[in-house]
Amino acid sequence: MAETTFTGVPRDQIPWFPTIDYDKCTFCMECDTFCPHRVFERREGARKLVVANPTNCVVFCRACSKTCGPDAISFPSKPETIARIKQIREGLAIK
Amino acid sequence: MKHAILSCTGLDKPEGSVAREVTIRFADATGSEIICPVLLNRAPARYKKALSESSLIVVDGCSTRCATKLATQLEAKVERKVLVSDAVKASGQPLESTLSLGPGGLTLAQTIVDELVRNLNAPAVAAEPVADFETPTEYLVVTHDKFEFRIPVVDYMFNENDVWARVLDGVARVGISDYMQQKLTDVSYFDSPKMDAIVEQFGELGSLESAKAVFEIIAPVSGTVVAFNGAVVDNPALINEDPYGAGWLVEVKLSDWPQDHELLLNPAAYAEIVKRKAAEE
Ligand code: SF4
Ligand code: SF4
Repeated sequence: MAETTFTGVPRDQIPWFPTIDYDKCTFCMECDTFCPHRVFERREGARKLVVANPTNCVVFCRACSKTCGPDAISFPSKPETIARIKQIREGLAIK
Repeated sequence: MKHAILSCTGLDKPEGSVAREVTIRFADATGSEIICPVLLNRAPARYKKALSESSLIVVDGCSTRCATKLATQLEAKVERKVLVSDAVKASGQPLESTLSLGPGGLTLAQTIVDELVRNLNAPAVAAEPVADFETPTEYLVVTHDKFEFRIPVVDYMFNENDVWARVLDGVARVGISDYMQQKLTDVSYFDSPKMDAIVEQFGELGSLESAKAVFEIIAPVSGTVVAFNGAVVDNPALINEDPYGAGWLVEVKLSDWPQDHELLLNPAAYAEIVKRKAAEE
């Protein structure tokens, strides 16, 4: 598949994806069951769930965190991410 | 209409203890009936009468949303919802970690009850819609398996978060796409944004809730909230029935449409996104 972009910016330049706080996570797998975009992956070992494909995450989506009882999922700041996207667009002179 | 209040039991978490306290205090303050979630689960007939006569207040401690999930199996209309973990965040104070509530937890519970009572006495009024739109007639159709997702051919712009904007005279009407409507399944609750709230593009314009998910309405435009759809607050099924027409959600007076427009997708580009998302499922 062609490289994905968000508003013309290559997706891998936008740091938007969930971060799991392993002190809080109970590995209930609600988030992974919910998200259809294969962002998470289940593993053997102590960390049974990891963010394996961060660039699959839909920019500005936070839906999985709303399924997480222990509130273990966090995201970057939206305003900072928006500022960064605009900055990159200016650099690329996207019109 | 009378109210009944249903909360999670949340016996193992401080947020759950707050939910329980809110329920008791609210019932005391308003004379509402308490619906015990465990009894409801075991013997639903016990509450049949109360639920048919009342609109429901639902209180959840954490995002597992046990009470909400119970409520979606009922025929009752959900009038208000409270998520204690969100209220904790909004208060800026961490909650004590004990299950017996400390002074902080008790104060929070009372604050939540006060706000609930205030809102019931003076429900937020949806201003008259500003824009007057005709329902679209022509659609692009993305098919995937047995599903069909419709996207209006003209006038609608989208963000990648499945929210549309339609602009007329400096005001954008906002709603969710047919694809998202089908993904959420039956929408049971529209938490509308506050009137006159100022929103940035990609900020939040309230949320929707179904048995499957909570959906943040991600603003396709920046500006000021000038109306929300009161008919949808009363009857969220309109979103599923007519997502581009009667199921619209919010109107925003635009502050920088030329800027916003650059970061939105036209119907054909959004159709590509829907294809990609549907294929990933
Ligand atoms: S929903 Fe939360 S607790 Fe459950 S696996 Fe995901 S991050 Fe961990
Ligand atoms: S934010 Fe949305 S797309 Fe990203 S991992 Fe969570 S549910 Fe999936």
